[in-house]
Amino acid sequence: MAYEKSIMDKVREIAQDCQGGHMSFCNARCPMHTDATRYIEQIRENKLTDAVKTIREKLFLPGTLGRVCAHPCELECRRNTEYGQPISIAALKRYAADKADSEELWDITKKSSTGKKVAVIGAGPAGAQAAIDISREGHAVTIYEKLTVVGGMMRVGIPEYRLPRNLIDFEYSYLTKLGIEFKLGVEVGKDISFDELSNNYDAVVLANGAHKSFVPPVKGIEADGITNAVDFLRGVSLGENAFEVKGKVLVIGGGDVTMDCARTSVRLGAQSVTVASLECEVELPASGHEQHEARQEGVFINCGWGAEEILSEGGSVKAVVFKQCLSVFDAEGRFAPTYGEEKLTIQCDTLIFATGQMVVDAANGALDQGAGGRYIVDRNTLSTKIDNVFVAGDSAGGTIVVEAMALGRKAAISVNRLLSGVDLTKDRDFKSEYDFKSELDIPLPKDVKDTPRNYTKMLDPIERTKSFVECDLGFDESIARAESERCLKCECKECMKECIMFNDFTLYPGALFKKFLEDGDMEPIIAYSCNMCDQCTLVCPKEFKFAELFGAMRKDMVKANHGQSPMPGHKAINMHQKLGFSKLFTVRIRGGSK
Amino acid sequence: MSRKAFLPGCALPSYSPENVSQCLKYLKTKFPDLSVVQKCCGKPTSAVGQAALFSKRFAGLVEDIKFCGADEVIVACQSCMKVLKGCNDYKTTSLWELFPQIGLPPEMVGKAKDSDAVFSVQDSCSVRDYTGIHDGIRWILTELGYKYEEPERTRATTRCCGFGGMVGPANPDVAFRVMKRRVDDFKTPYIVTYCAACRQSMLKAGGKAWHILDLVFGDVVYANTAPPEDVLASPVKAWKNRYRSKSLIKKAYK
Repeated sequence: MAYEKSIMDKVREIAQDCQGGHMSFCNARCPMHTDATRYIEQIRENKLTDAVKTIREKLFLPGTLGRVCAHPCELECRRNTEYGQPISIAALKRYAADKADSEELWDITKKSSTGKKVAVIGAGPAGAQAAIDISREGHAVTIYEKLTVVGGMMRVGIPEYRLPRNLIDFEYSYLTKLGIEFKLGVEVGKDISFDELSNNYDAVVLANGAHKSFVPPVKGIEADGITNAVDFLRGVSLGENAFEVKGKVLVIGGGDVTMDCARTSVRLGAQSVTVASLECEVELPASGHEQHEARQEGVFINCGWGAEEILSEGGSVKAVVFKQCLSVFDAEGRFAPTYGEEKLTIQCDTLIFATGQMVVDAANGALDQGAGGRYIVDRNTLSTKIDNVFVAGDSAGGTIVVEAMALGRKAAISVNRLLSGVDLTKDRDFKSEYDFKSELDIPLPKDVKDTPRNYTKMLDPIERTKSFVECDLGFDESIARAESERCLKCECKECMKECIMFNDFTLYPGALFKKFLEDGDMEPIIAYSCNMCDQCTLVCPKEFKFAELFGAMRKDMVKANHGQSPMPGHKAINMHQKLGFSKLFTVRIRGGSK
Repeated sequence: MSRKAFLPGCALPSYSPENVSQCLKYLKTKFPDLSVVQKCCGKPTSAVGQAALFSKRFAGLVEDIKFCGADEVIVACQSCMKVLKGCNDYKTTSLWELFPQIGLPPEMVGKAKDSDAVFSVQDSCSVRDYTGIHDGIRWILTELGYKYEEPERTRATTRCCGFGGMVGPANPDVAFRVMKRRVDDFKTPYIVTYCAACRQSMLKAGGKAWHILDLVFGDVVYANTAPPEDVLASPVKAWKNRYRSKSLIKKAYK
């Protein structure tokens, strides 16, 4: 039926602006949109299998990400933005995965075979995610991996003490179960040409990663005893002892990879380990817990120094002369360090540069590359100038594992569209394909208090420097439950807590009115179940006047129903009102003198 | 001084003709020129969405007020309050705001000071923004000598009794759950309302409820007193009462 324009305007406004369907802060900030709010609630209820299922709706490696995810979600956690004490979201994810993940929970359903085939270059998180999403659409996927192991940088970048290797293999076995084929130890561009892949496969996803260190051209760099983060960490991970760590180790850099090099050096028996970063201490890019754990293991972090010259003795590195760094970025945020007069010399026998990573071209120049070797792609679709080639992961500009995965998924969406003849951009919700800021604007729950964040138990620092055994022991049940209790369950369901009838008909009003718009109408019983008490409006952050709207709808429903309420039960009101206005039951008396 | 008209509404006369009649008699001692109109304000017609019919019916009530020459109406019902406020031809005052100004009948003041009943107040959700009405009800209770306490959701944040929006006849199941929830909000077994429909809702959901006028004009309520019966549940009794109220009103002017 037709409704007044003012009603339809209001319906559209609510359908659009009601916050009931807005993602929580953490969920929106996750590039993969893992529903942390939900799985934390499930952990609180001790429904760990359900929690793992929730995580696995988005992530095929819950245990891995529970350990190594840089958890941008925690930055946006309301307990962080309000009190600086975010929920330990990643650690809770790990807890659920360690306790309850099992192969029976893995969803290996896929659409029937399309006969199309796709090559993925690189078995890191981006390539794996792309492979999964393409394979489940029924396309045959083959992953070409230069290394003889799966996991990419998670395997040869992230040290084993942070991420046990058997866990990677276990979680990657999901891909095999899906029927994805691995060609390990095959380097594209050497063992097989890129053109061969792009010609023989219906589509190619290039996710070869950034496996070459960027090393600044410091004077004296040719001395012995100098290496770079990528080669160093890969060598250690694969057990190739090509580079010997000896004596005093100096690591130049300031990010998590720097900490990985420093802590790995400690474990390899370095006499001492020093980190020298360009950034000052507050600007140090490495995560807080990585810095903390490195310091616990005896790493000394010296901030605010730029390498000027490497001094050597008998051909081997002996020291590095630094100049004081005053600022790293210019006003526009570009990398443009400025230096002061002060100098510092740090002695060392081993020098490791952890100053950034670059992409080595695997496409034989077929694609354009930008800064750091990242391929030039369409940011929305990850498409390239070759129609059936897409790029994901580090190669497309992602910087952390979960971003790489989101880019893998994005590339897969494009591939799946291409292979089914759907336009790459038509009706596509790009916003949902990466992180965004939640539009939730809600008051803090009543009586909420700042409570301290729970941290996982760590192996004793002395113990952990002796081997590559995993040093984070995770949460036990009581701490995990306590931590999950802290979650503020950020969502807007304020009216749903107040209104009984809304709960009978919808998950939140925005959904109800979206459906109204789709159907062009609404069951009259909904409008006629409103008590008109305004309790919803009182708590609605948008102060939507639902009673007024339902009241207006009722008028149109009556109009369309020959002046009568469409509710059978309201027939009695007709008689009741007739009598209430009848002479028999009414009286008027003018008081006083005329 | 303004010329006033008392409008008892329809649920109150159907519930208690005695309350209407006693109230009218008392008001007349304060306002000798007082007029009276017993008629529905049309809120139910409006609530089901019969806009055209409502306009016609409401116009009739405004015409009655004009007939009385009143420039101020005193309403005992919160729906009347909101409906009548929609017309600017006269001033609308709630009976509950008026009592603190004119005082209670002197013989009623302090009559319940020995009562051991503690009431919870059910504010009508339709007047959640009318602080003067909330204050008036508490003033009356205190003046009578009754003790009362506030539920967590009270005054501006009060909860619906379940009767609002004519939901009862349309979706009785929802209406009943709303009633039950409101009764469960109260920590004391005794509830005082200032709306006859609210009182009925509370009774339906198992609460022990009195109308504020029961406390003003009726016998003192103690911890073992049973609430007045749910007259409104019986249409026959309710209409008999409405008719009786009309008769008592006419009698008061003889």
